[in-house]
Amino acid sequence: MKILSTVRFLIACVGISLAACHSSVEPQENNWTYAGGETTVFSTGPDAYTLPLANLNKDGLQKHLEADAMFAQQFVTEPAERFGGLGPIFNQNACESCHIRNGKSAVPAYSGDPSSGLLLRLGTENGEELPGFGNQLQTKAVFGFTPEGKISIEEREKIVRFADGMETKIRELQYGIQDSYIPLPASTRISPRMAQAVYGLGLLEAVPESEILALADENDRNGDGISGRPNWVWDKQQQSIRLGRFGWKAAQPSALQQSAAAAHNDMGLSNPLFPEENCTGQNNCGGDGKMDISNEELELFTFYFQTLGVPAPRNQNSNKVKQGRLLFFEARCNACHVPPLHTGPHPIRELAYQTIHPYTDLLLHDMGEDLADHRPEGKASGREWRTPPLWGIGLTQVVNPQATFLHDGRARTIEEAILWHGGEAEYSKQFYMKLPKSEREKLLAFVESL
Amino acid sequence: MRRKISLFAAIAVLLLSACKSSSNDPQPSMNHEPVLTTTAQVILNTYQDLSQKAAKLQETTALLRQVPIEAHLELARQAWREARSPWEQSEGFLFGPVDQEGLDPSLDSWPVNVSDLQAVLNSSHTITVEFLQQQEGTLKGFHTIEYLLWGEDGKKTVADFSEREFEYLEACAGALAQDAARLYELWSPEGGNYISNVINAGKGSKVYVSQKAALEEIVSALGVIADEVANGKINEPFSQKDLTLEESRFSANSKNDFANNMRSIQNIYLGQYEGEGDTANSLSALVSSLDASLDTRLKEHIQKAIDDIEAIPGTFSEAVFSHRAEVQKAQQSVRDLQDLIEGEVLPLINSIK
Repeated sequence: MKILSTVRFLIACVGISLAACHSSVEPQENNWTYAGGETTVFSTGPDAYTLPLANLNKDGLQKHLEADAMFAQQFVTEPAERFGGLGPIFNQNACESCHIRNGKSAVPAYSGDPSSGLLLRLGTENGEELPGFGNQLQTKAVFGFTPEGKISIEEREKIVRFADGMETKIRELQYGIQDSYIPLPASTRISPRMAQAVYGLGLLEAVPESEILALADENDRNGDGISGRPNWVWDKQQQSIRLGRFGWKAAQPSALQQSAAAAHNDMGLSNPLFPEENCTGQNNCGGDGKMDISNEELELFTFYFQTLGVPAPRNQNSNKVKQGRLLFFEARCNACHVPPLHTGPHPIRELAYQTIHPYTDLLLHDMGEDLADHRPEGKASGREWRTPPLWGIGLTQVVNPQATFLHDGRARTIEEAILWHGGEAEYSKQFYMKLPKSEREKLLAFVESL
Repeated sequence: MRRKISLFAAIAVLLLSACKSSSNDPQPSMNHEPVLTTTAQVILNTYQDLSQKAAKLQETTALLRQVPIEAHLELARQAWREARSPWEQSEGFLFGPVDQEGLDPSLDSWPVNVSDLQAVLNSSHTITVEFLQQQEGTLKGFHTIEYLLWGEDGKKTVADFSEREFEYLEACAGALAQDAARLYELWSPEGGNYISNVINAGKGSKVYVSQKAALEEIVSALGVIADEVANGKINEPFSQKDLTLEESRFSANSKNDFANNMRSIQNIYLGQYEGEGDTANSLSALVSSLDASLDTRLKEHIQKAIDDIEAIPGTFSEAVFSHRAEVQKAQQSVRDLQDLIEGEVLPLINSIK
C-alpha cells in the first residue's frame, strides 16, 4: 500500500520510536490521498470520523479528548447538579445524538420518530422567521412543555431511465408537520435538514475568503452554466458581515457560530452568541434567563470538531477508481466539487497552510426545482444549496449504515444523489446518465473511494 | 461523557498505519474467522445474559410495587446489581447496534434528569413503558432506576416511596428490559444477525472490509473502555473530589462498575463469558501465537486492574476522600492496562495481514 508516506512517516518516527519505522520511505503516489493535508487520518472502519487531526500536538490531543466527552454529553433540565440547561424545547439532548459517530444521521423511520437527526428549518415565503415557531421545529420538550410539533414523512419512488435503457428507482421524501402546538401559518416554508458530518470543519474554516471568492462566478461570466455565489452572513463574534461557510445553505461563518447555533437551536442551550432561549416570544417557552453554557464550554464543543481529522481516500491505485476520477472531471463535477483548496492562517496551527481536497467550493448553487426548498436563507435562494464536501463520503454508511445523502436524506445511495442533481448540475447529471453502466460504476467507484 | 476514542489509541492508530506502509514483510495472511467467531459469541452471550437479568429486574420491581416491603426492595436492588453486571461487562464493545440504534443512551444515560423526573412524578401522566420509550435516555435506563431504588443519599426505605415512584420504577425497568431484549435480538443470528458482520468480516460483511478491520475495532474498543474507566469514571470524581461526577454513586456500585468493565476486556480477550467459550480460538490465542510474552503480560495486567479496583476499601465515594492512595493505585493499573492494549496489542493487530 502506498497511500501513506512522507508526512505520516515523519510523524510516526518523531512521535514514538517504533522498530518498523526504519525502512525506506516510498514516493508519494499523489497528494490527493492527503484529503486533509497533514491532518489526514487513515482509518477505514466505523471509527473513521472520530480520529483527531493526525498532526495535533499533545496538548491539543488532551483538549480534544476533553472536548470529545462534551460532544457526547447529554444535557438535562435545570435545575441540575451537572449539565443542566436543556430546552425547554429542543431536538436532541447531545451533539452526538444527531451526528452519529460524527457522521450523518438517518431520516425518520416513521412519522414522529424521535431518534432521527433530521430537523426542519422553518420560515415564511419571504425568508422571515415563522411566527410562533421561529426558524426551526423543535420536536421535543422537557417535561411540562409542549414540543412545537412532530415531523411527518412520506416516501415515494420515481423511476429514472439511463440512456442505455436501464432503469433505477430513486426515492423522494415528503416532509410535513403534525401535532403542531398551535396552527401553522399559511405562509409556512419547511426546509428539511439532515445533520451533517462534523469532521474537517476546522480546515474549511481556515480556507481564506479570497480563495473561495475567486471561485465565485455570480453572473456566470465564463458561460459554463455554473454560477457559484457566496452567502454573506452576520458574524456574531466579530460583529461584521462575513462569508458563510457552514450548514446546507452556508448560513454560518465560523465553526464557533455553527456550534453555538446548534447548541441554541437543537438543544436549547443559550450561550454567549445566542443568549436567548430558542423559543423566546412563544407561549410554550420558559427559561431562567441564565446562560446555559459558557464561552469556554462553547469553545470546547467547537474545538472538538475543528480538530477532527479527515479520512484519506481509499483504493486510489485501482484502475477503476483512476478512470472514475477522469470521468468525474469530464462530467464537470469538479466545477462545484472543487478538489484542491488551501488553508491560510488559523489559531489552531495544525490547520494552517495545508493543501486539502474537500471537493467543495463552499459556494451556493441553484440545484434545480427537484431539490428546491423554496425557503431563502440569508442570500441563499430557495433553490440554492452550498456544495457539500465529498471528502470521506465513501465511508458514510460504514460509519452509520442508516445514513443517507442530500440535505433531506432522500438519496439512499450516492447514485441516487447524483440523479437528483439539477439546475447548475444538470449537465453533469445528464453526462452521468448517458454513460454506459460500466462507466457509471467507475465514476461511482471514484466517489465512493473518497 | 463517553468518548469515542482515547489519546493513546489516536496516536497508536496513526503511527502504526504509517509504519505498516513502509515495511514490506511477507507475512502470510491468516484466517481470523475463528477468533472473530469466538469474540462475537462472547458479545452475544453477554447481551443474552443482560436481556435475561433485565427481565428479572422488571419482575422484581413489579413485585415491589405489589407488595412493598423492605425484603422486596432489597430483591429489586439485587436484581439491579445483577443486571448492571452484564451491562458493564458489555462496555468493552460499544460498537454495532448498541451505538447505532440509540440503545446505549436509552439503557445507560447519565446524569439522571432529576428535574424532569420529579415533574413526571408530580404530574398525573400515566407512566408506562411506551411513555418512557418516548422520553430521553436521561429519564430512564440504569441510572434512573438506580436513583429511584436508592434515592439521592442511598438510604431510601420502602416507606419513602410514593405510589407514583413504584409506578415509574416498574415502567422504567420494563423499558430497560425491552431495550436489552432488542439489543440481544439485533445481534442474534435469528434476529438482526449483526453477529454475521463480525464473523464474516472481509467476506461479505457490510461493516468490515477485512478481518483486520474487525479485529482493530474489537481491540480499540477495549482500549476505549480502559481509558474511560481510568480517565473518566475514576478520574473525574477523584481529581475534582466531586461526587456529582460519580456515575453509580446512589447504589454505591461504582467499584463493581469499574471491575466489570475490566472483566469486559478480560472476557473478550480470553474468549469466554461466565467461564464458557472457545478459548482455543480467542484473541489471547492469536496474540500468544505472535508474541507469547505480550499475551502473558496482558492477562496479568487485566487481573491486576481488577484486583486493585476491588482492593479499594469501602465505597468509591468514601475512597475518593479517605483512601486516595488506593484509588490512585487502581487508576494507575487501569492506565497501564490501557497503555498495553493501545501501545502493544493494537499495533500487533495492526501489523497482521
